[in-house]
Amino acid sequence: MIARRGAAFGFAAWLAWGCASDPSTPTSTPAPVTASKRGQQLTTATISDPKTFNPILVTDSASGMALGDLFEALVRMNPKTTETEPQLAERWEYNADGTVCTFYLRKDVRWHDGKPFTARDVAFTYKAIFDDRVPNSTKHVLTIDGKPIKVEAIDDFTVRFQLPRPFAPLLNSISTEIVPEHILGESLANGTFAQQWGIDTPPEKLIGTGPYRMAQYVPAQYVRFKRNPDYWKRDDSGQPLPYLEEQTLLIVPNQDTLFLKFRAGQTDIHQPRPEEIADLQRDSQQLNITVREIGIDTGTQFVVFNRSPKHYEREGKRDPQLTWFTDKHFLQGLAHAIDKQSMTVNCFSGYGVPAVADISPENKLFHNPNLADYSYNLDEARRVLAEGGYALKDGVLRDRDGNAIEFSLYTNSGNQLREQMSAILKEDWTKLGMKVNYRPLDFPALVEKIDTTFDWDAILIGFTGGIEPHNGANMLRSSGNLHMWNPNQTTPATDWEKTIDTLVEEGSRELDIEKRRRVYWKIQEILHIELPMIQTVRQRMFVAVKNYVQNYEPYVWGVYRPERIRIAE
Amino acid sequence: MGPYLLRRLAHMVPLLLGITFLSFFVINLAPGDFFSTLKMNPSIRPETIAELQRQFGYGEPLLTRYFKWLWRALHFDLGMSLAYRVNVAELIGMRVFNTVILSVASMVFTWSLAIPIGILVALRPDSFTDRVLSFVAFFGMSVPNFFLAFLLMYAALQTGWFPVGGSTSIDYDSLGVGGRLLDRAHHLILPVIVLGTSGMASLMRLMRANIIEMKRAEFLLTARAKGLPERVVVLKHILRNALNPFITLAGYELGSLLGGAALVEAVMNLQGLGTLMLDAVRSLDIYLVMASVLIGSLLLLIGNLFADVALTLVDPRIDFTRLEADR
Repeated sequence: MIARRGAAFGFAAWLAWGCASDPSTPTSTPAPVTASKRGQQLTTATISDPKTFNPILVTDSASGMALGDLFEALVRMNPKTTETEPQLAERWEYNADGTVCTFYLRKDVRWHDGKPFTARDVAFTYKAIFDDRVPNSTKHVLTIDGKPIKVEAIDDFTVRFQLPRPFAPLLNSISTEIVPEHILGESLANGTFAQQWGIDTPPEKLIGTGPYRMAQYVPAQYVRFKRNPDYWKRDDSGQPLPYLEEQTLLIVPNQDTLFLKFRAGQTDIHQPRPEEIADLQRDSQQLNITVREIGIDTGTQFVVFNRSPKHYEREGKRDPQLTWFTDKHFLQGLAHAIDKQSMTVNCFSGYGVPAVADISPENKLFHNPNLADYSYNLDEARRVLAEGGYALKDGVLRDRDGNAIEFSLYTNSGNQLREQMSAILKEDWTKLGMKVNYRPLDFPALVEKIDTTFDWDAILIGFTGGIEPHNGANMLRSSGNLHMWNPNQTTPATDWEKTIDTLVEEGSRELDIEKRRRVYWKIQEILHIELPMIQTVRQRMFVAVKNYVQNYEPYVWGVYRPERIRIAE
Repeated sequence: MGPYLLRRLAHMVPLLLGITFLSFFVINLAPGDFFSTLKMNPSIRPETIAELQRQFGYGEPLLTRYFKWLWRALHFDLGMSLAYRVNVAELIGMRVFNTVILSVASMVFTWSLAIPIGILVALRPDSFTDRVLSFVAFFGMSVPNFFLAFLLMYAALQTGWFPVGGSTSIDYDSLGVGGRLLDRAHHLILPVIVLGTSGMASLMRLMRANIIEMKRAEFLLTARAKGLPERVVVLKHILRNALNPFITLAGYELGSLLGGAALVEAVMNLQGLGTLMLDAVRSLDIYLVMASVLIGSLLLLIGNLFADVALTLVDPRIDFTRLEADR
């Protein structure tokens, strides 16, 4: 499955001059590894090292990947339906007014060291989460109107969550993995919990309830997992799960190397970048792989304009830019001038879809499908701008006071995708007669501008998306620090921001899912009209997998029932 | 010699202080800090970031933080990595072995090829061999390392002769001692070629120039007049004198032992300090960066000292005791 003779894939065209690979010369081909010789083991790869082995402290995706099979939460998200499904909790129920949620736990779960899993462990985990000395975001998500939720064990297998008021995001927010009290209890008591289970911890000391145990971690090389023979889950015929004996997660800090390793047969699953997809599809037979589309990027890339008055008031004078950037005509004119088709072709090798709402279509519960995109139409753009009093004079677009339109567009340097997108935006907007100064900046420097100095005009940036829309409250609320266009407001600067504030509050209280969906639809509608964020394009996501991997059901949110993955005999 | 050594060691103290002080401030002058990335994650609350900052002492004035760091460093505590929340020494320890192996192997590769080739071409300067070998050496020097790494990895993929990146195979643990050694060596070949070739040209040219210069030295007339055979003239007189600058160079190499292979490490997926430090600088993981600055400068200073001392042992014309007296 390895040596492809004379192949010209990916950056091979770029390498071509240096490669003395003559298509007619047979090269030595290593014997293909057949499925039967492989045994039940799977090799995947990730781009960076885990930063911690303590699931409560995780803030990066690499650590999440390394720990995902070791620990379990009360509930988990079904990546196929995006609904919450039972995991350590068998079922749960709310009381009548929605302020108490009772979880009934499974009775057949054991920790990796054989000790039984009980409600005490759940209560302990939440005690750790709410401890002042343990920095984590779950605590702030579960602090409602300044009051923490109360978690107590009623008996060995019942846990009660008491909420200060009905809190709709609860089930989507308690995917925090449960950790064992008998191992970590002492460290919480003596204040060293935040230093427990760092990456220097011997893997056998990591005790979870999950389908795998960590067997070995070699920094910058791989993490190896061995099957947990006492895992509680069974398949439909009563066979113990998981099927795989062993999993290896390679750490490969370079995208091109990741691709080479997959082509060389050293990994079984690969998430190709857009430019790799066609090559893999073409060679799929020879590489013994299948390339599948799994959906649309859950995140979003957008342009945001600075509406923070602090940036524009100098020596008693107000910069005209603030007027443009808060003017619907101006922003809608720009939105009509973004050539999303060209972005799709140039930035995503054709694998992209125009983004309309800030919530991805993959978030089926909350995405508003009724919004019509701003079509790419320069005449329409000019018409909207003219309506707002912007007119071309000698090829330069000016506002009604005669100021020439000029602003800087920042993005973080090193992010190729955003750099390419910025180039297209600059070109598109220049067609309208504006002057756009493109300024790539280091990521920390860019954040300093957004967060501290507020000294910027426009930024192309992105967020990764999740299922729970309330997790974006930080960005939606006018008082939020990630309300990038005008953060940390004491009172909302505009009526529509005030409306969104109210809706965010309502969305967090509404337990009826249909009503709740309407709330977030309304928010997306307002953002679409007022355009504090102008959406660009979302990537269509693919995955390439070896044909001998069975029961592998990937979705953009994750793998459905990963414990059932097996290797063909 | 004794007082000279003491004086040299004493000079290191203010130097190290200066280097670390400057580094600390320059890193902190850069806009943003380690927490910038976290700030742009909507699911991480500002309160969490504030807590983290407090735990790492970010509220205090810069000068206080520097002296706290220095005080701990004097007690061999290099602090915690912000990203990993593990002691910095631990992180470095996990990877230092691989970096040293890689550096030493590529140094041996470079030197054992560059010096003989330098001698060979110097004996017949401007011959055909000289031109061909010089061309090859300069080619190696001018092709960027990461690019050569890609070329070789692509070749490895095409031929299957070499592993596509990594320091060991996946089944490394199931191998015996001999198997492990072979496996490591197999994985080392391509990176050593990449790193080795880049330094080859300068070394080779230096050797060549030294020998050509030595060949014109007047004492050779005497030697030849005494009737010494040419072989002895070359080996004993020319070579020995031409090697002097290489002793100094070897000292400098000590300083770069842990440093500069980050790009090659990243491309060829090697587990070394280079990528760790590159990440640390990028993400402004300050204590990790400071540790690498400290260790790097310490090695450089010690390497220099070694080189100077070694020179006096090799070349009787250099005498530090007399230099001291002259002052």
